[in-house]
Amino acid sequence: MEEILKRLDERFYVREKKQQRPNLLFVTVDKKVAVEAVTYLRDYEGFRHLVMISAVDYIEQNLFQLTYLLHNYQLHSDIGVRVFIDREHPVMDSIHHLWAAAQVYQREIKEMFGIDFPGSPRVDEPMILEGWDNIPPMRKDFDTKKYAEETYFPREGRFTLDPIKQMEKKNYPLEAEVKYEIKRVVRDNRDKK
Amino acid sequence: MSLKDILSPFYAWKRTLEKPYTIKKPIEEREGADRYRGFHVNDIEKCIGCGTCEEICQNEAIDMVPVDFIHTKKGDSGLRPQIDYGRCCWCALCVDVCPTGSLGMSNDYIWVTPDPEEWVFKPGVDEKEWKDDDKGYRRTDEAWLLDPKLTPMPVMEPEVRKNTFDEMAYGYEVIMATEEASRCLECGICIDACPTHMDIPEYIKAIRENRLEDGLKILYDTNPFSESCGRVCTAHCQDVCALGHNGDPIAIRWLKRYITDQTADRRNEILGIGKPLPEKDGTVGIIGGGPAGLTAAFYLRNYGYKVTVYEQHDKLGGMLRYGIPQYRLPKEILDREIQTILDTGVEVQYNVKVGKDISLRELKDKHDALFISVGAQIGTQMPIEGIDTPGVLVGLEFLDQIAEGKRPNLGERVMVVGGGNTAMDVCRSSVRLGAKEVFVFYRRTEAEMPANDEEIEEAKEEGVKFEFLTAPTKITKEGDKLKVQCIRMQLGEPDATGRRRPIPIEGSEFTVEVDTVIMAIGQKVDSSMAEQADVKATRWGTFEVDPDTLQTNVHGIFAGGDCELGPDDAIHAIADGKKAAYFIDKYISKQGKNHAETK
Amino acid sequence: MKSKELSETIAIKNKSEESWPAIQTDLDPWQPVWAQQKEFDLNSGKYVKIWHGPQHPGVTGNMSVELTLEGDVIVEAKTHVGYLHRGFEKLMERRKYIQCFPIVCRICVPEPDTNEYLLAAGIEELAGIEIPERAAWIRTLVLEMVRAASLTMGLGGQAGAFGLVPIGQWGVAHRDYILDLFEELTGGRVYHMYIIPGGVRQDFPEGFEEHVKFVMNKLEKLISDIEKVMFNNAVFKARAKGLGYIPPEWIEPYGITGTTARAAGVPIDVRKDNPYLIYDQLDFHKILGSASDVYERTTLRKEEILNSIRLIRQILERIPDGPVRAKLPNVLHWKIPAGETYVRAESGRGEMGYYMVSDGSEYPRRVHVRGASYTHAMAVLERLAVGNSIADMAGLMPSLQTCPPEIER
Repeated sequence: MEEILKRLDERFYVREKKQQRPNLLFVTVDKKVAVEAVTYLRDYEGFRHLVMISAVDYIEQNLFQLTYLLHNYQLHSDIGVRVFIDREHPVMDSIHHLWAAAQVYQREIKEMFGIDFPGSPRVDEPMILEGWDNIPPMRKDFDTKKYAEETYFPREGRFTLDPIKQMEKKNYPLEAEVKYEIKRVVRDNRDKK
Repeated sequence: MSLKDILSPFYAWKRTLEKPYTIKKPIEEREGADRYRGFHVNDIEKCIGCGTCEEICQNEAIDMVPVDFIHTKKGDSGLRPQIDYGRCCWCALCVDVCPTGSLGMSNDYIWVTPDPEEWVFKPGVDEKEWKDDDKGYRRTDEAWLLDPKLTPMPVMEPEVRKNTFDEMAYGYEVIMATEEASRCLECGICIDACPTHMDIPEYIKAIRENRLEDGLKILYDTNPFSESCGRVCTAHCQDVCALGHNGDPIAIRWLKRYITDQTADRRNEILGIGKPLPEKDGTVGIIGGGPAGLTAAFYLRNYGYKVTVYEQHDKLGGMLRYGIPQYRLPKEILDREIQTILDTGVEVQYNVKVGKDISLRELKDKHDALFISVGAQIGTQMPIEGIDTPGVLVGLEFLDQIAEGKRPNLGERVMVVGGGNTAMDVCRSSVRLGAKEVFVFYRRTEAEMPANDEEIEEAKEEGVKFEFLTAPTKITKEGDKLKVQCIRMQLGEPDATGRRRPIPIEGSEFTVEVDTVIMAIGQKVDSSMAEQADVKATRWGTFEVDPDTLQTNVHGIFAGGDCELGPDDAIHAIADGKKAAYFIDKYISKQGKNHAETK
Repeated sequence: MKSKELSETIAIKNKSEESWPAIQTDLDPWQPVWAQQKEFDLNSGKYVKIWHGPQHPGVTGNMSVELTLEGDVIVEAKTHVGYLHRGFEKLMERRKYIQCFPIVCRICVPEPDTNEYLLAAGIEELAGIEIPERAAWIRTLVLEMVRAASLTMGLGGQAGAFGLVPIGQWGVAHRDYILDLFEELTGGRVYHMYIIPGGVRQDFPEGFEEHVKFVMNKLEKLISDIEKVMFNNAVFKARAKGLGYIPPEWIEPYGITGTTARAAGVPIDVRKDNPYLIYDQLDFHKILGSASDVYERTTLRKEEILNSIRLIRQILERIPDGPVRAKLPNVLHWKIPAGETYVRAESGRGEMGYYMVSDGSEYPRRVHVRGASYTHAMAVLERLAVGNSIADMAGLMPSLQTCPPEIER
């Protein structure tokens, strides 16, 4: 694995690497060389099994991470090639010409994350979410709970009480009033500039 | 294709003679497996309504709702889980997490009802046919998701600590504190049990997330004696801790100590003490600089009043200083904690005994309001023969001497009478003073002892011997030695306090020979100053107050702490001090002052 | 080569190859030609489009295939999923780690435990938790039991697709015997929620080993019956042999794994190649075929059931004593160090994997589930269906072990 990493680094410049297990290595390469790197791994290093393509949304850094996980059946090892792409313009080169299976993954990522793979077969057709009119749902800024609350209706008559508040109300209403008032006074003084 | 391939499939006919796999209608009841996860059952007597099941439920299927016949009480929120089976996925995480082990699942297989509302019910409360099933999924100790084991506090070995008054507990280190804090469920059942209702889950969370500064701020919101409480609090919170039902409660006290220890050198800076406080018109006199008085002083200063504390000793701290020995609460710790309170601008007059040096009425005229917090400073004596024999000491006076640095010689054999925390302090101090043999005589059994279990345990480790169901009846002096006649007791009917009354057993007298006897059987309040301002006192000598506002019959005079409650612990005094501050502010504001508040 | 039946099938395969058309070069997956889409003039009257599904015999879950037919021969197939999307990957992102564990089993109905194991294994790897030895053995037992259960039902489904209904009933009934075992061990029949991060929830109940042995004997007997009734059945042979041939060259480009790949003679099996749990301590071999048609794949699955039975017997014989759970931190606020990993296991349908990313918080950043039949069912089926009769579609789908719940998650 180390030699493969060395060769990969020489050719494509590995920005970051993480040896997660002896047989699992994650490398980060630039977007420009990603498809070349993946092709190289497939054709020269024997990583001929595309395990999966996955995307991770790093909304804080305004980035999407794409992970191409490749498996070598001779070495029984995996390399995860990570690519960071801009979240504002999420476009990536397709690898459907390398693996027949890639088109399905790319279709799903297009649909779930909105990352485009121009040229990939049927990539623009809806796959799972026919008739979806919201932002791609796997993005971090899509709030499933909010969506569910707006789309469906909760069961009526359900309510819940907080044990702390309940005990305050039932056991020591006066002391609770004292506590919150004193707390307010102390905090006002403390937080005053 | 061979003939065999054509004939072979007819083999299937063989199976027609078999017993059918399916069950006939109407469905014969088939009992589920012993571990089957069916509908929930809940032992509502065991359940404390902590809401941990609601917290862990990934489907939001559980609501905590009040139940008619279950009342909110100490250690029980009175709420019980109600489960929406439209959402439940029968994963039994709620069962595996339940701290009391009350929640389980029945192995009932079939239940059909056409009414959708029936699918929401309170297990154990609503009548269901499986309500009392004892088969079905139950949490085993192995499957319990919580950690029942306390992170032990590093302490001095008993052999070492027997010879020194140095503090015996070293305090948690970072890893220990984080580990202990992460055991917490944050259910908040403890908040109710704490007399001053500290935000315990919040500061434990702050420790877990390593936000100690926030932790310290949270502590001072409700308790300016957090550092002392972190060492000597009686920890009512730990008595009700949800984890304590099946394991060790969280060491809330030690965690509190951890925050204050770690932030001690920057305490004033973090708390913003020294910043200008608001100014309000009005002065408050506080009589007695113990925990109640100083707590009131701290919060009244925060309100903006001028505060003067009248202290009869030359140092502040009250029972924290004079009642609790150095090995539990070092004086340096107490000093720095009191200094923080004084840094808010509290004025103190030392060596002033109100009632003698200055009368209560004079003070009343001098200040807009008074807060009496003189504590219960007088040790009670037993009405037995020979109680004034030299060599018979009073527990409180004894502890007082030690606090002032004196190290009296007690001889080799010491008898301590009593079963409270004072008795424990006395007997363990005696060990440290070099007494070879220390006996504690208590008239009930260990189960009835009011002292903390931990204290009793530690005393035993230090070699203190206990004699239960025994009381002294007569003390005489013979040469250097004291001869104490004792009698055995047995337990009778419960008395007014709920404890079983000890009854002497006729003819069971015996005599013990010791060097010193220390009576640690109780304290009482010196309320002689009360009449100087026509303040009412009860027949037990405590000040009589309105329990809601702590105001005495005289307007503007408030009383709190031991002198109002009778002998109790520090945290109750602190709670009283806080409450008094609130009502004193209400009182002075109502008097028409402070409409123009300056900021 | 594992069994007598296999060698028989190879002989037949050699025969059938004569009648099977040579591999069409335009289907060569290494050439991107296949990615081009054909246009069919539907107004010409030559073609008819029909909607096949979403219910299929032998397939657990729903998916549709849009077929363009010329006569009764399929000229184009397009798969349509979306009937079962529950968004588990997204749901996990707003659940604490312990709360993820009850929902992952729902990703795959016939084989829930593989999901539970993979989630637990991923969390354990990221959090650095070692599980006790007995827990690893119990997990292996559970995985083999569920493999046997799923493949038994799958066999029935495959038979049912060709009209051999009694075998479908036998398969489902015998799966139920295994579900009875699960009920006893875990408290749940279909969704077991048993493999929890740190180990398994509870140890064996009393008498469990005996019950397992009893059911395994029953199952073994069933398989021998099925051999007579199904594998030596002229109808089944006539329809399944030669149907749905997957050339070995397709395995890599399509990412085909599991019995489907092994039926083509490609020796890949995660249990042997990347041993997990205690598979390296068990005695078994990769089961290989060569004919790579529906009959061969079905035969291999039958062999896998027998293999599972052997493994279960081995495990029961050698399982060590000890604790079954490692201590977890307080699950209510359990944070896992930042990192990412991929864990895989051999499910009954092939390689199943979890790609997990943690950002150091209480919630997973991303959990990607690689369903074993994801590519088989989508990309391969679309190619495989072309040129076959519509009547064979039903047999083709279960032979790829299509599992729509894991395609959509």
